[in-house]
Amino acid sequence: SAAAQRPWKLFGAMCLLRLPRITQPLEKVEEAMAALMEQIELEKSHYSDHEVRKLEEEEQLKKKKESLYDEDEALGKTVIMAQDLEEKWEQKFLQFKAAPRITDADKNNDRTSLNRKLDSNLTLLVKQKIGNQELWLLPQAEWQPGETLRSTAERAMATFLGDHIQAKVLGNAPYGIYKYKFPRAIRTENNVGAKVFFFKAFLQSSDLSQAELKADHLWVTKKELGDYLKSEYLKKVNRFLLD
Amino acid sequence: PCRAQPKKKKKVDVKKEQAQKERMKKKLKKLEKAAPELIPIEDFITPLKYSESNRVRSLPPLSPEESERRVLLMKKWCLFKQKQDEAEKKAIKALVESQQEALKELRLESEELYQAAIRRDEGLFPFERDGPSYTPPLPGYDPPEGKCVDITKVYTQ
Repeated sequence: SAAAQRPWKLFGAMCLLRLPRITQPLEKVEEAMAALMEQIELEKSHYSDHEVRKLEEEEQLKKKKESLYDEDEALGKTVIMAQDLEEKWEQKFLQFKAAPRITDADKNNDRTSLNRKLDSNLTLLVKQKIGNQELWLLPQAEWQPGETLRSTAERAMATFLGDHIQAKVLGNAPYGIYKYKFPRAIRTENNVGAKVFFFKAFLQSSDLSQAELKADHLWVTKKELGDYLKSEYLKKVNRFLLD
Repeated sequence: PCRAQPKKKKKVDVKKEQAQKERMKKKLKKLEKAAPELIPIEDFITPLKYSESNRVRSLPPLSPEESERRVLLMKKWCLFKQKQDEAEKKAIKALVESQQEALKELRLESEELYQAAIRRDEGLFPFERDGPSYTPPLPGYDPPEGKCVDITKVYTQ
C-alpha cells in the first residue's frame, strides 16, 4: 500500500505561543522621541478650560493678597480651586497600586510558569523520547493515515496539555519543516528518516490549571530556545518564530 | 330645494382641495430637486471659544541648542524606524520562505495532505485579539461603577 512505500515518517508538531500581555520597554531613542512629541504638542496647543480657570484663580489670589479689603467678599463662599482639584486627583492616583511588570516567576526564573516574561512570546517545549534519547522538543505526534497534519499537531498538543486547551491554530498550512535521517543502524530502504511539520497556534486562555501535564514542560522565549533545542532543529524553528 | 347648495359646495371644495394638493406636490418636487445639505463634520469646525486671545500659551522661545537637539533627534529617529522596518520585512520574508519550503516537502510526500494544507481555514478570520497593556491585569480588581451616556449628534440628510 502507499503508506508502506513511503520512506519518510511524518510527524506533526505544534508550536504553541503565549502572546505578550504587557508592552515591551521603550528604547532610548523611542523615549526621547516620545518626550519631544509631547513637548511639541504642548507648545502648539492653547490653554484648556481647566488651565484658564487655574490662571484666573491665581490672579484673583494675587489681587486678594495685594488688596486687603477683599476679605468681606470671600466670607460665606467655599470655592473649590482648580489647584485643590489637581491635588485631590494626584492623591487618588498615588493610592492606586498597579500589578508589577516583573512578576515573581521572573525573579525565580521559574521556566514552567506562564507568568514569566510578560512582554514576550513564550513557546511550549516538552521532553519527548525519540529513539532512545530524551530530547526537549516542540510537542509532536506521528501522523496516522486518515487525518490531516493539522489534526496530528492538535492531537500532539492535546496529549501533552489535555483536551481543555483553547488555542487558535493559524491556518491549515505548516509553517516549517525539519527533516532528519535515522542513524545508520535503524535506517532501511523503507524507513529513511522523518519529516516534522510545524504548525503555529496562539494560546487563548491564560490559565492552564485544568490542563493535565503529562510530561516535563517548559515555556521559553525565542532567545532561550537555544538552551534546549539542538542546533539544526533550532535553525528551522527560528525561521518561523517572530520575536 | 336643499339639494343644489350642498352640491355646489362639494364641487367647489373638491376643486379647491385638488388645487391645494397640486401646489403641495409642486413644492415637494422643488425641495427634492434642491441638492441635499452636507452633513457638517464636527471635528473640522473649531468652536469659536477656543480662538480667543487669552487662550494663547505664553512660553519662552526656543534656544538654538534646543532646536539643534531636536533636529538631530528626529534624524536618529528616522534611522531607527528604517532599521526596524527592514528587520520586520526580513522576518516576514523568512517566515514566508519557511512556509513555502514546508509546503514543497509536503507535496513531495503526499498530494492529498498537500491539498488539505492549502485549503482556506474558515474559522481563522475574523481574528480578534486584545493588545498588550502597560501593566498586567490586577487580580481581584473592582473597577468603579458608572454610566456612559452617548451625546453624539446624529445628522440626517
